[in-house]
This record gives sequence, structure tokens and C-alpha cells, in this order.
Amino acid sequence: MSEMELPLVIFTVLSQTAVGLVAISAIRQHAADGPAGSVRPEWMTAALLLIAGLVASLFHLGHPLGAPLAIKHLGSAWLSREALGIGVFTALVIVGFLSARDRVNAGLSFAAAAVGLIALFFTAMTYSPPGFPALNNVMPFVFFLLTAAMVGAGFASYFTSAEKMPMITRILAVSLIIGLVVYLVVPFLWLSGGTVMRQTGLNYISSPLYWARIIVGLVIPLMAIWRMRTLAAWVPVLVLAGEIMGRIAFFLLAVHASANMGGIY
Amino acid sequence: MKKQLAFYIDAKRCIGCFTCAMACKNQYHQESGVIWRDVYELKEEIYPHRERAFYSLACNHCENPTCLNVCPVVAYYKREADGVVVHEQDKCIGCGNCIRSCPYGAPRYNPVLKRAEKCSFCWQRLDDDRKPACVLSCPTDALQIVDLAEFDEANAVQYPAGFPRYPSLNPSVRFRLPAMPKMIRRKL
Repeated sequence: MSEMELPLVIFTVLSQTAVGLVAISAIRQHAADGPAGSVRPEWMTAALLLIAGLVASLFHLGHPLGAPLAIKHLGSAWLSREALGIGVFTALVIVGFLSARDRVNAGLSFAAAAVGLIALFFTAMTYSPPGFPALNNVMPFVFFLLTAAMVGAGFASYFTSAEKMPMITRILAVSLIIGLVVYLVVPFLWLSGGTVMRQTGLNYISSPLYWARIIVGLVIPLMAIWRMRTLAAWVPVLVLAGEIMGRIAFFLLAVHASANMGGIY
Repeated sequence: MKKQLAFYIDAKRCIGCFTCAMACKNQYHQESGVIWRDVYELKEEIYPHRERAFYSLACNHCENPTCLNVCPVVAYYKREADGVVVHEQDKCIGCGNCIRSCPYGAPRYNPVLKRAEKCSFCWQRLDDDRKPACVLSCPTDALQIVDLAEFDEANAVQYPAGFPRYPSLNPSVRFRLPAMPKMIRRKL
């Protein structure tokens, strides 16, 4: 098994939450009728989430002062592209927050959302290396997109007017259903892979952390929405807790290809 | 094809004595737990005999090295002259991306220096016309250097059982498979 990588857990979950928050904010402000909601605090929250995530990511480095050099290898290193993408996204979100009145300019809103989604793709490519056969595919992108949709929609509810709450609730409910299906199916699909991928699947389905993540982050929020027909303030907190547990599992339970050297692959 | 140095691992000759791994340790005095070369025993599912068989493995100095491709600070380079992949540790910021990415587990984390490091193919020794420490130390000649541009051994394989297959990386390593042990049974 691998390491928990807590700084990367915090960085990835918070930055993806910010991407979801900004994307949903752009849609809510400019692609749906009605009041925009509390846009300025929303973009300030996104900026603070990004800054907190970036600070957390420094603790992952052996030499944090070298972090600015991480954009040196844009030609082939997804990590360099990720650093640049998240940096540009953070800058756009800060400009959006500073320039916002009752709304953020439409062009800036959608540009920030697009850059955020591109940065999320770069992050996904960084975390799908050949060293982890179970993750060396499209799944990290799917997981990260789901984090943006679920936690982003959950947090967006704090800044949404009552008129648009049904829309946010629907986005969150649909994201949670897709997330539940994906997270229940994928570890069992891994069981049909090679030895290392199968071991990753076994690690997942035998881990209390994985099942706690399913129940806390997906099942309970879905049940709460279904029973109350609205979004209680505590639901996004549970969704965030579930994503943090899921991301810890992502780093902790994936098996490295070299772990089976000398055995059948 | 350009010159590409590679390790030739003759599992038929290897006796699993770990002298190669010890020679590497003696040469570079890595921190405790940091291993550039290790000897892996083939599991019984591959080699089901009372005799054991081994692969001595280190960095494979791949044709398309993923460590080099993913390093955000360009701390790796591949030597034009012989294809050896060199890690410049002073440039490394300790992000661990190469460690996660290499499917062969070659780059390791040095917890004291807080940077990655890996087998250098003893390039300083190569430049001085000397063999790498591991190759020099092998008592059975089970570990050798070959140039893949000239290597022509019909029985050599690149991906034997027990070694991950990553054609996109094209690891510069070749193996001779372990011999099947001779079974001597009394006639009933």
C-alpha cells in the first residue's frame, strides 16, 4: 500500500471544490433566470479554498521553496501544467472576487470555469501515472470531476438564493447518484484486472475507510435530500468529509506496480 | 539505433547472493531504507521448484523514461552518448512524482535529503572506462552491461514473467530466463 499524502488530499479536494463552486456560480449567474445569490462571498470562498489548498500542497514537497520551479517542464510534465493551470485559475478567481459587484462579469465567470476545468484535467493526468495500474486510466479524471460537482454544488448552496435552491439541490442529487454508482462499481471492476489492479480492488472493498466514505459522503447526503426534499446546511459538510475520506483512500489503497516484482502481473 | 547501455540479467547464473546490491550500497552509502538495486526472488507461481531463481533489478534507463517525462523541475536527463538516465539531485524539489510514476519503483525517496534518487548506472565509473559497481562485483557474471544497438542474443527477453511490461517506456534491460532444475528420480 502507499502513503496517505494528506497535503495532496487537502490540495486536490479543496482546489476541485473551488472549480465546482466557480463553474456552478457561472451557470447560476448567467445561464439561469432569477437572482444571482451572494456572488462576492462565493468567489472569495473559492479563492480562499484555492490558497489553502496551495499552501497545503507545499507541505508535500521536500523543498517547498522550490515550488515556483515546478512550472519548468510544461513540455511533458503534467505536474508543471497542473501548477500553471491552478495558478492561472487562482488568479482569475481573485480577479473575479475583486471585480464582483452583484455578479461577476459573464466572460470572466465562464473563462474562470473553463480554466478551472482544464486545471482539473491536468491534475487528473498527474495522478494517473504508469506506476499505479488501477489509476493509469480515465478514473482519476472521473473521480476529480465528481468531487468538483458534489462538493462544489454543496458549497454553492450556501451562496444561492431560495429561488435557485431547487436547481442546486438537483445538481447535487444527480452528482451524488452518479458518484454512488461510480464508487460502488469501480473497485469491483478492478477485481477483473491484473494482479496489481486486483489487489487495489481488494484493498478498497476490504477497507472500512472506503465503506465509510460511501455511507458518509454519498448515502447519507442522498437520503437526507430524498427525505427532506431540500438541502440542509449540514449536508455539504458530510459530502466534503466523504470526499476527504475518499481521497485518502485514493492515495492510501492504490497498489504500486513494483509491489509485485517477481510475481505474475 | 543509437548506443543504449542496458543491464543484462542472466537469471540462469544468478544465485541470489545480493553481492550486487551490497556493492551498490558500498559505493554510494545510501541512507537506510534507500535501495537503488535489489534482488527479487521469483514467486512459486512463476518458478515452482525447490531451487530458487532471482532477478537483480535497478533503474532500467528506459528509452522513454517516465521519471524524466513527469519531473516538473527537469531534474532528469538522458545522456546522448550512452542512453543512461541521470538524476540531478540538487535540482530535485522532492515532489515524489517520479517515485509514483515509475512502474519499476526505481526512484526512491531519501528522507534525510528530502529528494528523490536512483541508480545512476555508475556513469562516473563508465566515463572512466570502469564497470558499474554491481556488475563488477557479481561473482557469477549474472549481471552484465550490454549495448542494445549491438546486442544480439537470441534467447534474451525484455519482459519475462515477474517483470512488469511497459512497452511505452521501453526499459533498457534484457533477461536470460532461469534454467529449469534437473529432476532426478529413482526408477520404480
